Amino acid sequence: MWKGLSVITASPSPIVVVLSGSMEPAFQRGDLLFLWNNPAPDHVGSVVVYEVKDKPIPIVHRIVRKFGTGPDTKLLTKGDNNNADDTELFAKGQDYLGPDDIIGGVVGYIPFVGYVTILLSEYPWLKTAMLGLMGLLVILQRE
Amino acid sequence: MFNSLNRIQNTFGFFTTVAFVLASFIALSDFVTPRAPSAGTIVPESVQVVKGRPHYYSSKKEEYAIVKFSLDASLESLFTWNTKQVFVYVTVEWPEPGADNVTNSAVIWDQIITSPSADHLSNLSPVALRKLKRSAEGKSIDPSRGKLKIKNQKPKYQITHPTGKLAEAEDVRLRLHYSVQPWFGILTFDQESDIGLWKAFKGGVSELFKLPALKKKTTT
Repeated sequence: MWKGLSVITASPSPIVVVLSGSMEPAFQRGDLLFLWNNPAPDHVGSVVVYEVKDKPIPIVHRIVRKFGTGPDTKLLTKGDNNNADDTELFAKGQDYLGPDDIIGGVVGYIPFVGYVTILLSEYPWLKTAMLGLMGLLVILQRE
Repeated sequence: MFNSLNRIQNTFGFFTTVAFVLASFIALSDFVTPRAPSAGTIVPESVQVVKGRPHYYSSKKEEYAIVKFSLDASLESLFTWNTKQVFVYVTVEWPEPGADNVTNSAVIWDQIITSPSADHLSNLSPVALRKLKRSAEGKSIDPSRGKLKIKNQKPKYQITHPTGKLAEAEDVRLRLHYSVQPWFGILTFDQESDIGLWKAFKGGVSELFKLPALKKKTTT
């Protein structure tokens, strides 16, 4: 199903969880976003998820400048809650994003549901605890 | 068979299903709520092109355009019970010289208008936040916040171009946009044609104007 969704939306990860507060108050940490990349909405003002070379974490920000069209499009983004645009976040020497850097544009929104994944990645012992709990229950339920 | 764990599981499962179905209904209710946003005027008040550096340590010099503007708009109908915030922004658009159908656009000003239900999330100083909350005491929806009247507004962002050239660009115009962020559901934007009960955004585009020649350096 994940693969199918990936194909339809043409995005490598069609559902993402917001990890930072840089788009507040629109998105909080833990909110779930549905992406579309077929083609990605790239008009100025739309919110896109992009990836920067050598940085593992995708970023959700709003497009504030757009120059040109097609594969040569140059995009500049900014987080609603940030004072400065994203030039600092880009790779060294990179001034703009290209269409290939975009993983998808945000089309749908569900609040808070993704918070579990943040908890699990920030407190690794939770994973162990949950596994243990499940194991315990399996044992207990075998009358 | 029904031990306490099963009960908890069932309750939780039922709770999430109910919450999800309810939220879906709320999201769908957006489509049956008419929207008729319109903008009265949007005009550039003063336009300047100056030379500057992108940041202090840069040796590169670029041209920057600074556009002051006035506008008024009524976006009241965008505020419903599922509206978390409306992001209003003004772009400057101009065609790329020598290329057909290529439009450059850059945001020069934006504003986040939260619904009273989302006021507590906004990033404001405590005083401003208290004032904002008091402005809509007891209300969870406040359409009057969608009434915009802005006079001679300084831009929040300057305009640049990757080539560093901007002076005397022609056929430039200002355009007002909005983006509605729901509590649950899909993100929507100003539209050029009617979709169902949502009317196209009326007005919101300025007359064409020309950027002036480069201004000689003054101390800033």
